[in-house]
Formats: sequence, structure tokens, C-alpha cells
Amino acid sequence: MSAGSSASTLARVLVLVVGALTIAPVAMLAFGSVSEGLDAFGRFTLAKYVAAYTDPALLKVLWNTVVFVLGSTLLATLLALVLAYLNTRTDIPFKFIFGVLAIVPMMIPHLLFSVAWALLLNPSNGLVNRALVDLLGLQGPLLNIYSLPGMIFVEGLLNMPIAYLIIAPAMASFDVSLEESSRVCGSNPWRTLLRITLPVLRPAILAAFVLGVVRALASYAVPRVLGTPGRVDVLATYLYEMVSTGFSPDWGRAAALGMSALATSIALVWIYRALTGESSRFVTVSSRGWRPSVVALGRMRLPLTAGVALLSLFIVVLPVLVLLYTSLVPYAMLPSAQAFAQMSLRHWTAVFDDPTSLLALLNSLVLAVAGATIGVLLSLLIAHVTVRQRSRAAGTLETLTFLSFSFPGIVIGIGFMWFFVRTPLYATLWALLIGYVATYLPYGVRPLASALVQVHTHLEESSLVCGASRAATLRRIVAPLLVPGIVSAWILMATMFLRELTLSVVLSRPGSEVLAVQILAYADDGLWGRLSALGMVMILISTALVVLAHLAGSRMRAGVASG
Amino acid sequence: MEIRVEGLVKHYRSEGRTVKALDRVDLHIPSRSIFTLLGPSGCGKTTLLRCIVGLETPDDGEIRIGDQLVWSRRQGIAVPTEKRGLGMVFQSYAIWPHMTVFDNVAYPLQVRGVARAQIEERTTAALRFVQLEGYGDRPATRLSGGQQQRVALARALVAEPGVILFDEPLSNLDAKLREETRKELKRFLGTLGITAVYVTHDRVEALALSDTIAVMQAGRVVEVGTPRQIYFDAAHQFVADFIGRANLLPATVREHGKGTTRVECALGAIACAPRALPAGSAATLCLRPEFLHLHPQGASAPGNVVHGLIESLAFVGDACEAEVRVGDALLLARTEPDTPLREGDAVSLSVEPAHCLLLAA
Repeated sequence: MSAGSSASTLARVLVLVVGALTIAPVAMLAFGSVSEGLDAFGRFTLAKYVAAYTDPALLKVLWNTVVFVLGSTLLATLLALVLAYLNTRTDIPFKFIFGVLAIVPMMIPHLLFSVAWALLLNPSNGLVNRALVDLLGLQGPLLNIYSLPGMIFVEGLLNMPIAYLIIAPAMASFDVSLEESSRVCGSNPWRTLLRITLPVLRPAILAAFVLGVVRALASYAVPRVLGTPGRVDVLATYLYEMVSTGFSPDWGRAAALGMSALATSIALVWIYRALTGESSRFVTVSSRGWRPSVVALGRMRLPLTAGVALLSLFIVVLPVLVLLYTSLVPYAMLPSAQAFAQMSLRHWTAVFDDPTSLLALLNSLVLAVAGATIGVLLSLLIAHVTVRQRSRAAGTLETLTFLSFSFPGIVIGIGFMWFFVRTPLYATLWALLIGYVATYLPYGVRPLASALVQVHTHLEESSLVCGASRAATLRRIVAPLLVPGIVSAWILMATMFLRELTLSVVLSRPGSEVLAVQILAYADDGLWGRLSALGMVMILISTALVVLAHLAGSRMRAGVASG
Repeated sequence: MEIRVEGLVKHYRSEGRTVKALDRVDLHIPSRSIFTLLGPSGCGKTTLLRCIVGLETPDDGEIRIGDQLVWSRRQGIAVPTEKRGLGMVFQSYAIWPHMTVFDNVAYPLQVRGVARAQIEERTTAALRFVQLEGYGDRPATRLSGGQQQRVALARALVAEPGVILFDEPLSNLDAKLREETRKELKRFLGTLGITAVYVTHDRVEALALSDTIAVMQAGRVVEVGTPRQIYFDAAHQFVADFIGRANLLPATVREHGKGTTRVECALGAIACAPRALPAGSAATLCLRPEFLHLHPQGASAPGNVVHGLIESLAFVGDACEAEVRVGDALLLARTEPDTPLREGDAVSLSVEPAHCLLLAA
């Protein structure tokens, strides 16, 4: 009671807040899927389910979804595995590139990445396609990005960094003596890799794969930009078409279908959670006394280095370059002296003369700054309760927070929609703000929780003994010690909100446009120049946010240390 | 300031089982003395300390600090930690790494809203007291373990609390530094004349520092006394065994003579320090290795004398430790490091009756 009362009150309040944020949209989705008419609380009916699941088009959509999700995740996991092995276990040069490969794609919004590849490889005037036609004298385009393989390629590249960030640490803490003893037992390196190394790393690899499946299942940007033109529908785009078709939006049917996407996603995240718990036990226990044994690549060194360089080109350099180039030339043309002569800032000025673009820019900035600030404050409290308390409320809170990790944006957007329609928040920035914070909460909680684990409980307890209240302790001791974690959580959330697409396409209305939605509108109108210009603005702001937050972080730390 | 603990109960639930960390503990910690809670790990000593300071919530009982009732289940009183006005030195020191030495020490005054000039003055005085004058501007992380320990002490005493609590403060120091710091701490506490509650599992630390020791076992206080009482005159076998090394032998009480109680045991008839145990009752004889004197066989010696063979002899630097076979009993004895005795030698073992401690079985 004494030490616990205010703390457990906080835990209960947080359970209510996070519960409202995460359960409300799910509940609305569930009610909406069984109610008659457009309202979420109409008369009970199963008609929506019948309509949704007996649609003959669904079979094709599901098949596309399975191929897209599994294909892209397999690609992402394999790439990550090879990269992690090369970086942690071999003598490959330029190791800093691996860090860049793991971080930079997070700064390039998926929407723009997809658009960039469309600009390069679309069948009618994709730059690479046209160059190949000219070069090889072909009749028609060689590659078509508007296809399942194209979507798998782009989504795979996009999801590679996440898989890498899960697999690489496990690989780095791998106990090499396990391999060495296999070698001593007479096994050759290949056999050792297949029989020892990969099985020991299996939990981490599986975790990366499962998370990749969750993300690909929720992915909207890639199917929308690359699938829709070629009429390759996956679940996310299929659902969105249901709710966005101007004259007959069918929210109930979308909700009925979305329920199974949500259930699948939640089940997968559950598996992921179990796997990561297991993988940390599995791998770190044996990490004591680890000494890196470096595998000499020998003759493979050069081709592998070239492969990594090519991947960096695909993931980092090419997308940004093609956007910059497209934003400067008047129409899609191959780079040439003529093209460079015609370069101008006309698309940039057009974007800044467009009041909708400016409004979207302003809205996104407000949402990024306000959302990240609120999100980090909430995450700080949640992380503190989940890390420091052993109560049932703390356990519930952790589960609730993890739940939103599994929300496919489009599906949960429908739930939020029904929720906000009943409130004055509908069609305001507040709706987006609440939706953003609810959906992206785990991205704030996780870095803060892992930072908090590093802070010894005695540091807080001694502040209490010294006579400081819990609030003062959080402000004067915990928060300053967590500055690095707070800064990285803030950057992560702000950049994610700045580029947010899937929730926004469902929730945004005239007046509450955001950057990603406006970029999509340009894409629908075929205004690639303006799209690229606005996209570059988005990338520049993201980069500026990262730099500013880093500067602020180091100044805060310096200030705290001296004052 | 004195502390009174009555009927304190604390349960822990771990893996579905309930563990009694504190089992109806009653304790009176007198004012202006160094009071040590001593016991093996898991005996509840740290839990008791954390209940007193308010970092743990008991399940039942009462805690009174000075005149104030700070926790009572019956009366529904629960003063939060920050309102108890105590000082505490943590095992990890808990020095805040993002603050300077000065700010660490000044913190309790700052949160109490003391005037700036006074904070300056009192913090400097506290730093001077722990001999860290001039270290104020240093980042707290740039200090050695011993210095951090002194910062933690300065922070605990700067607000002049009635009680300072210590949770195994020396266990993170290496052996040599631990001994120096222990002496220093004793001097500091002696000068302050403050109530100090000290938790440790190290018997030497407890004996050297304390005015009073409470030995704990399995959530209960087994015995309370001065270091000498606990060492020479323990009433319980657990306490006698824990506070020093001991040869424990089953014995039967025979008769009470003048100034001695005679018992029968594996060594034969032994005269012991008097103890009011009924004749014929079972008891345990406790003989400390340091009071067992070895002589070449045939030499005369005072007190109880028995004869045996040295079964093993270990040279440990500051002593030789011999295992001596006497009948069915194997006794550990400590002797001079340069003893001429060797394994296999026949010896006489002598021990004064005053050093033969009788315990209820």
C-alpha cells in the first residue's frame, strides 16, 4: 500500500488509456462486422460475413496475398541472413555499409520507395525499361514492376532491415565454440552451417520471418502503388477499395474480412513474442567468452562485396536519386544532356503553390511533433510500469501494448473510423493523432523499456528515500537517465508519423490531409514530378528531424551533466 | 531516533508458491546506536530494512520510527518512503550518473525546498565530513568505488535524518578496501551519534561495526545482543554456528558445579561455562577452533584436556588449521602458523571451561 498505492493507480490508469486506444477500434470493428447497414450498432446480421467470404473474387485476392506475403518475407529474411553473416562472421570490407543498410531504409517512406521503383521499372516509361529497350533494341519493355514478382522484390527490400536487426545481434552473440566443436568432430564448413549454425539461430530467424509476415500482410503502400495498376489485388488494397469506392462504400463487408486479417496478425505477433523470448534465452546464455572467429572469404570476397554494393544501390541510392531527378525534369525522360538542360524547380514551386500540399505538409508536421511528444510521454509511463512493476495490471498493460503491434493499418483504420464517427473528432487532426499514437505505441515503448532495464532500481529508490516524490523522481532521475532512449523513440515515432499512409488513407478527410495521402493523390493523377518534389520534402524533413533530435539529445545530456 | 517493529509479516509469491520473507518480526532498535541485521542470504534482513524505509509493503504488523507510526495495517497507516525522512546507503550506492558529486549530495535538500545558500553550506559540510571536499564539481561517475560509497554516505546524512539505513554497503568493495572503509564508517557513525540500521551477511563486519546485532534466520529474528554476547554467549545453535566457526558436539548435561556445568560427550567429561539446563537433558557443545590449544602429547595444560591424533594439517598463512581425531569426534583447531606439529602427530588438546559454550539441543 505505501510504496505501491500511487504506482498501482498509475498502472490502472494506463491500462484504461491503452485499453481504450487499442480495444476500442477492435471492438468497433467486431460490432460493425455483424451489424446491419452502415452503422456499427445496427441490428445483428451475419450477412456481411456471408457477402465477404462468398465473393468469388476473394480467392484470387487471397492467393495473391499469400504469394506476396510469403515471397517478400522469404526474400527479406534470406537477404538479412546473408548480410548478417557477412557482417558479423566474415572479413568482408566496408562494414559500415551494413549499418547504413539497416538504418537508412527506415528514413525512406515505403510509399516513396515503391514510387521510385515504379518510375524505374514501369512497363510504359520506366527509366530502366526504356534504357534497356534503347540499349538492346527490344520491341517492348523487359521488366514489369506492376506484377507480383515486382511487388515481392520491392516489399522484400523494404522489410530486409527489420529482419537484419533481429538476426544480426543473434548472429553476433553466437558462441563460435559450438561451430568449432562441430569442425573438430569432422564436419565440413557447409555441414556445420546447416547442422549447427542455422539450427541454433532458428528462433531468431523464425522471429524475423514471422515479423516480416505481419508487416507484409499489413503493407498497403507497395500493393497500392505497384499492384493496383496491374490489377494485382492483395487483401489490403481489396479492403481499401471496398471502403473507398465513392458510391457504395461497404464498411461492414470490409470489417468482416478484416476480422480474419486481424486475427491472423494477432496470432503471428503472439508467436513472434514467444520466439523472441526464447531466442534471447537461447543465444545470449552461450555468449560468454565469445571471440569472433572470422571466416576468410577468399576468392568470394570481391563478388560478395559487389553484391552488397549493388544492394546498397538498390535500397539507398537509386530510390532517392530517381525521385530527385524526376522532381527536376519536366516529364519522364532518360538522363541526357537535353534532360539536364531542361531541369528546373517548376515541380517544386507547383507543390508549394498548391494549398492542399501546404496544408498536408503542415498537418503532417503538427502530427509528427505532437504525436511523437505525446507518444513518447505515454510510452515512458508504460515502459516504467511494465519494467518496474510485477503486478497483474503491469502484465495486462504489456499485452495491450503488444496488441497494437499486430494491427494492420487499413483494418484498424476501419475500426477507428466507426469510433470517431460517433464523436466530434471525426475528420479532424485529433482523429489522426489518436489513431497514430494508438497504432504506433510499441515503437515508443520498446526502445524506452530496453533503456529502462539498464537503469538500476536503486537509482530511483534512493531518490524516494531522499524525500523526492514519485513524480519528481521520474522527472529528475529517470527521464534524464533515459535521454538517449527518449531521443531515439521520439525520432522513430516522428518519422513514422510524418510518412504514415495506411491509417491516414482511411481516416483523413478534406481538411485533414497528410503528406502520404497527398503524394498518393499526385500518383493517382499521374503528376510524378510534383509527387517526387513533395516526396523529397518528406525525406528532407525526416532527415532534418533525425539530425535535430540528435543535436538536442547531446545538448540535453551535456546540460544535464553540467547543471 | 528509535525504531519499533511489531508483528511484521511479509509474503512473496514466486512461481505459485508463497514464501514467508518476514514471519512476525518484533524488534526494538535503540536510539543513537549501530544496529546490525545479520543473517545468510534469504533470511529476510534486506526485506526488513526495505519495509522500514518504505520500499516494500508489509502484509501485517506495525512500524514506528521515533514517535511516528509509519506503517500499520490495523490502523491503515502507510507513510510513503519520501515522507519518512530517512537516509539510506544502497548496496550499489545508487549514485546518479547524470549529476555531479555536489548535486548528488545536495538532492535531499533540494527536494525539501531548502534555501540555496543553505544547500551550498550544508552540502559542502557533508562533503567535508566524508573527506571529499573539493570533489563537488566532478561528474559522479568519475569516482572510485570507495569514493562513491562516501558520496552515498554524504547524501544519506546531509538532511540530518534521525536514522540512516545501510544495505550491505561494503559488499561491492574489494577485501582490503572493505576493511578500511569499515573502520572509516565506524568512525563517521561514532562522530554523528545517529541511529544506524545496517544489513550484512558478513559476520566480521557485523562484529566489528555494531553496538547491537540481531541474527535472522528464515524470516525471524533469532537472537539479539552485543557482538560479545552473540559470539561468546549465543543461546541458539544456528547463531553460534553462524557468528564464527564452531565444532558442534551432541552432549548430555551431568551436573552443575561451582562456576561450571559438567557434560558428557564424545570427548568424555567436559567442564563448561555454566548454563541453566536440567541435569540429564540433551545439549550441544560448541567449541571454537581458536580456543582449542594444541600441545605435544604429555605437555601439561590448564582446563579440559583430551588426547588425539592430527588427521590433517593445512597451512593457511596466518594460522595452521588442524583436524584432530579424538575418539569418534573430528575437531577443527587453529594454531600458530609456525607450529612444529605435523600430520599423524599425537597431541593433547586443551580448552578453558569458559570457552566451552553449551547450547540447548
